[in-house]
Amino acid sequence: MFHWLEKHPFFFAVGIFVTISFAGLVEVLPNFVQQSRPVIGTKPYTTLQLAGRHVYIKNSCNACHSQLIRPFKSETDRYGDYSLSGEYAYDRPFLWGSKRTGPDLHRVGNYRTTDWHENHMKNPEAVVPGSIMPGYPWLFDNLADIDTAYAEQVTVMNAFNVPYNADLPQKDGSTAQVKLASDLAGAQASALEEAKKVAADMKDQDIKDTVAAGKIPEIVALIAYLNSLK
Amino acid sequence: MNKLVLYGIIFVVALVGATFAILDANGAMAQGKDVMGQLAIFGAVAIAAISTFVIIKYIRQMQYDTATGELADENWDGIGEYKNELPFGWAVIFLGLTIWGMWYFLIGYPVNAYSQIGEYNKEVAIHNAEFEAKHANMDAATLKDMGQSVFIVQCAPCHGLQADGMDGKAANLNHRIEKASIVHTIKNGANNMKTDFAGGMPPMMLSDDADIDAVANYIVDGFPDGNSTGATAFVNGGCTGCHGNQGEGIPYVGPKLNGFDIAMVSSVLKDGKKSSIGTMPAFKNLTNIQTKAVAAYVSSLSK
Repeated sequence: MFHWLEKHPFFFAVGIFVTISFAGLVEVLPNFVQQSRPVIGTKPYTTLQLAGRHVYIKNSCNACHSQLIRPFKSETDRYGDYSLSGEYAYDRPFLWGSKRTGPDLHRVGNYRTTDWHENHMKNPEAVVPGSIMPGYPWLFDNLADIDTAYAEQVTVMNAFNVPYNADLPQKDGSTAQVKLASDLAGAQASALEEAKKVAADMKDQDIKDTVAAGKIPEIVALIAYLNSLK
Repeated sequence: MNKLVLYGIIFVVALVGATFAILDANGAMAQGKDVMGQLAIFGAVAIAAISTFVIIKYIRQMQYDTATGELADENWDGIGEYKNELPFGWAVIFLGLTIWGMWYFLIGYPVNAYSQIGEYNKEVAIHNAEFEAKHANMDAATLKDMGQSVFIVQCAPCHGLQADGMDGKAANLNHRIEKASIVHTIKNGANNMKTDFAGGMPPMMLSDDADIDAVANYIVDGFPDGNSTGATAFVNGGCTGCHGNQGEGIPYVGPKLNGFDIAMVSSVLKDGKKSSIGTMPAFKNLTNIQTKAVAAYVSSLSK
C-alpha cells in the first residue's frame, strides 16, 4: 500500500491530512457541536427584547459592559453562574465584550429590576454614587424600532431555523414557546402587549402615557431586553 | 594514524586550549582554586572530543563505505532505494507510542484532562470549606461586619450605602417600617402575613389621630425609653397584646416591630418582594451564613 501511495501523491496528501487531523476531529468537533447547542432554558428573543437589543447595540453599551461571566469564584460571587457557550445560541452577534469599564450584564435580569433600570438610565449617579456611566435621557424620548426587530426575527427564523413558535424544553421539564406573529401588525401588537407589562412597573408618567397611546419608547424595549438576561 | 584523526586532535586541543586561556586569564583554575571552572573545562574537553570523533566517523563512512542489500522496485532517474529492515529501537518506539496513543485516547484525555470548570469547582470547594471552618463560630460583631460588606456589594445599588433607600428608590432600612405605613396599617388593619401568622390585624385599634401619630413615631424611632406618650398609647391601643411590650413580637401572634428579624430578612432575600416602591429581586446566590449576616446588619441599622 505504501508503494502505491508513493506513486499517487494526491491520495498520499489526503491520507496525511486525515491522519494529522484525526485527533482534532474526534476530540474537538464533538465537544464543539455539543457546547454550541442551546442550553436548556435558553429562549430566542421576543420582538420587544430584540428591539431593546438593537437599542443596546446602537448606544454601544457593549463597549463598556461585557456579557461573559468567567468561571472564577470572584466573578460568580458577583455576577452569578459562569456563562456557557450554548446560552449565546440566539445572539447575533454575541455581545461578549472584551473590556469591562462597567460591570458584566450577562445575568443582570436576576438582580436588577425595571424600576432600578429606569432610575439608573436617567441618572446613574443617583443610584450608584461615583458611577462614571453617563445618563441616557434620550432613551425616554426616542421610539424603539419594532419593524426592524420583526424583520430580524423573520430572517433568523428562515435562515438559521431559530425556533420561534416551537416547543422549547425548560429547566423544570415543561416546555415554553416564543411566539412570532405572522405579520408585522401582529408583531407590533405583541410588542405593545409586552411593553405594557414593563411600563406598569415604571414610575415615569410620560412613558406610561406613551405606551398607553400605542407607542414604545426605547427605554421600555431596553429594559425588556435587560430583564431577559438571566 | 591518518591525517583526519590528526587534524581532529589538533582541533580539539586548540579549541580547549583557547577556551582555557580566555576563561583562566587570572590563573585561578591553574592554581586549583576554581573547582567549578575546572569541571567546566573538563566538560568542554569531553564535548569537543566526542563531537569531533563522531563527525570523523561519519566522514569516513561516507568516504569508504559501500552499501549492500536488496534494492526496491522503484527507481527514480537511476537512483534506487534499499529495502532496509526497520531499526529495532524505532520499532519499539513505534509500538510503544501506539499503545500510549490508545491509552491517551480512551483514558488519558477524557479522564485526566484539565478542565476550566473542574478548576473552578475545586476553587469553590476549597473556598467554601475554608469559609465554613473560619466562620463556624462567628461572634456578633464579625457577623455584622460580614453583613455590611455583603450589603455594600449586593444591596447598596438600590438601598444606598446609607441603606436609606435613596429618596424612595427602595425601602429605607434605617426604620423597621415607614411612618406612613404604620399610620396606614393602624387605620386599615393588615392581613398580609405569610404562613406564620393566622388571621390579621383589625383596623382602628386606635382612633385618635394624635395617638396614632404618637404610636407611629414611637415605632419609627425604635421604641425609645424617653417617649412615654408613645409608650402609653402603644399599651392603650392594645398593641402589646400581639406585638409584645417593646414591639419584640410574639411568635405566631404578631410580628416584631422593633427591628428586622432574621426569618423575615431571609425570606425577603430568598423570594424577593414587590411593593408600591418597586420590585426587589430574589438573592438566591447568598449562602446561609451570608443571609444571616445581612439580616444581622440590617437589624442593627434600625436600632
